[in-house]
Amino acid sequence: MTSAAVYEVPPADRGLSVSRDPAREREARLRRLVDGHIDFVARVLRNSGTPQAEVDDEVQRTFIVAARRLDDVRIGAEKSFLFRIALNLAAHARRTLARRREVSADQAPEQIERFATPEALTDQKRMRELLDRVLDQMEEPLRATFVLHEFEEMSTSEIAELLGIPRGTVASRLRRARIEFRERVGAIEALGKAERET
Amino acid sequence: MKEPLRLRDETASALERALLDVGASYRSPASARAKTLGALGLAGSATLLAGATQAAPISAFAKLTWTKLLATISVVGVAAAVPVGYYAWHRHAAAAHVATAHMPVAPAQAVDPPAPAEEPAGSGPAAPPAPALAAPARVGTGVHLARLDRPAAHPSSVTLAHELSSIDAARAMLARGDAEEALVRLDAYTRGYPQGRLELEAEVLRIDALDQSGRTNLARERAEAFLRRHPRSVLAARVRARLGD
Repeated sequence: MTSAAVYEVPPADRGLSVSRDPAREREARLRRLVDGHIDFVARVLRNSGTPQAEVDDEVQRTFIVAARRLDDVRIGAEKSFLFRIALNLAAHARRTLARRREVSADQAPEQIERFATPEALTDQKRMRELLDRVLDQMEEPLRATFVLHEFEEMSTSEIAELLGIPRGTVASRLRRARIEFRERVGAIEALGKAERET
Repeated sequence: MKEPLRLRDETASALERALLDVGASYRSPASARAKTLGALGLAGSATLLAGATQAAPISAFAKLTWTKLLATISVVGVAAAVPVGYYAWHRHAAAAHVATAHMPVAPAQAVDPPAPAEEPAGSGPAAPPAPALAAPARVGTGVHLARLDRPAAHPSSVTLAHELSSIDAARAMLARGDAEEALVRLDAYTRGYPQGRLELEAEVLRIDALDQSGRTNLARERAEAFLRRHPRSVLAARVRARLGD
């Protein structure tokens, strides 16, 4: 079927003659949102416990949710908005994974023991798995603060604004998160050392 | 309040540093950007296509193979090219016959696939169905040959790249003022990719093309139908603006 047959011969009147600017501006804003924050969103998703295989899909979902509510997001608050969406999606992905695998946090020490050899430490993939397990044991508020400060290199003021909490709370959460992180990594190192000595 | 140092900068533990580096170095692949823009209905830019093809070495390989085929034909000469051309035409004719027998008729109204921006969860945007046939109907023989040589199942990014080029071609025609040719290309896209991820984008372009060609009433009808079906689509705002709401 040709185009002419599908679309009947036109009436004489032409042009919907309206401004395209608002729609184009919205599209441009959406595109800027993706270009400017896609790595941030992917990192937040991954470091918040989204399985590697699902990160790309969750990135898309994050931006799709953001697009639906873009008009409600004030200029300059996009990153915070995306962060909250990503955090929610990551939590959902984590819960789904936990149900699927029936993983419990107290299994971690045994499971990570094999990572502690020098050979394994050079393996990026295993390092990633190890990091996942360390972060998975953190409470969500501590984890979010830790991720934003240590991986996104945000200041405590920026984190406070992003999370909508006082700066003092950010500092306190960060301290606790670091203590937990170091304790767990220290335990892994000790395990590896003991294993090498025996 | 004093700003704390990054743990990465103050730790003496190699393992801590390595873990922190792994966490900080994660990047989204180029294909994810292309897929995300596609899902948002923002496909069609050169960068988007570049992003998709970067992640699709097979596409480049296919182009290389086709280039080599053309070069071979020119070296062998007309005497050899004629039978090769006949063979290709014959294959195309046979395939077109099969395709016609199995392909749904191009609809008079817009195809209404699930809006990517509205149904992301179940659709698994990274894995679109491969089209049975995926090439414009009114283009040169080379495209037909490329189509026939294409494997039945495509990696997602390769398919997306093909979809993008089809949409880009239609957009280019429209920008040049050739609305009729743009419509032909858009129809070919819809036939080639019955469940294409860029169908919403194609429909919006179709509305533009109809309007530009003077079929304003039809453009308006389709625009209104689009808004009824996809009121929350990312592209709805653009269609509303066209309607002057």
